[in-house]
Amino acid sequence: MTDNFEDELRRALRPVKAPAGFAERVMRALPERRESVVTPILVKATLARPAPQPNYWQRLGAPAALAASLMLAVVLGQQMAFHNQQVDEAAGLAAGQELMQALRVTNKKLDLAFDSVKNPPEPGVEENRS
Amino acid sequence: MPDDLLMRARAGSPQAFASIVETHQGSVFSIAYRMLNNRAQAEDLAQDVFLQLYRKLDVIESLDHLGFWLRRVASNLAIDWLRRVPYTSTQPLDEGVQVAAADADDDPLMSRELARLLGELAPAARAVMVLRYQEDRDVAEIATALDMPVNTVKSHIKRSLTALRSRMIGAKLITAEELP
Repeated sequence: MTDNFEDELRRALRPVKAPAGFAERVMRALPERRESVVTPILVKATLARPAPQPNYWQRLGAPAALAASLMLAVVLGQQMAFHNQQVDEAAGLAAGQELMQALRVTNKKLDLAFDSVKNPPEPGVEENRS
Repeated sequence: MPDDLLMRARAGSPQAFASIVETHQGSVFSIAYRMLNNRAQAEDLAQDVFLQLYRKLDVIESLDHLGFWLRRVASNLAIDWLRRVPYTSTQPLDEGVQVAAADADDDPLMSRELARLLGELAPAARAVMVLRYQEDRDVAEIATALDMPVNTVKSHIKRSLTALRSRMIGAKLITAEELP
């Protein structure tokens, strides 16, 4: 019985004839030149595809990156200036300390010279130079 | 159809392509017509199938492949069409379509009702039934053509047969005793 029903279905679904003149209409609708399959379709698809529009984050990205770069440059510049200032200050401090040391030495020498002038050694007494 | 027909069509011979269209127009139009239940839409769809074939002749490997390719594209275009315009599924069949080879013992009422009920199936199930019972394709080929597992095809056939039988009983065109 199943076979009968399936046969009935086959009869019901017997192929139908295409309308008269169908092939001629298809031939008239064909493009004049048949394009090669792969490359032109890909090229056409690529050409037809609109340029991708950047989304919100992409649009925001370039200015944000520029701003971040500028900010980084400013901060690094300040750091460099601060570092150079500290180096200069340290050098100045060292130079000041050296000057003070030189002045102290000079002062001692001058004291010795002054004492020598003020209390000259007696003749015949060997000067203790140590 | 000689094998060199395909080669000549690929080389740009209009006569060769026209010969291909004439050979396969019945099958392609029948699939479109059974799927869409509308003669004008079926003709548009069938024409679209052959225009696609014209552009893709280079990918057709053989005449066997040509037939398979046409059935596959026609079925899938029809499914896409029905998914875009779902209400065409309930349209009545058009009058004036000639069956390719009618038998003297055909029951026209039964055939017409079965074809109409087929139009009430979901697009994928309808495509399976058309390829199975109109085009006489085996389950494996239907599965390949419609990109679905073989078991899904079998399931569509079983459920569609059950649904069609029950609707035929409802329409009193067959009796319950005729069922297995």
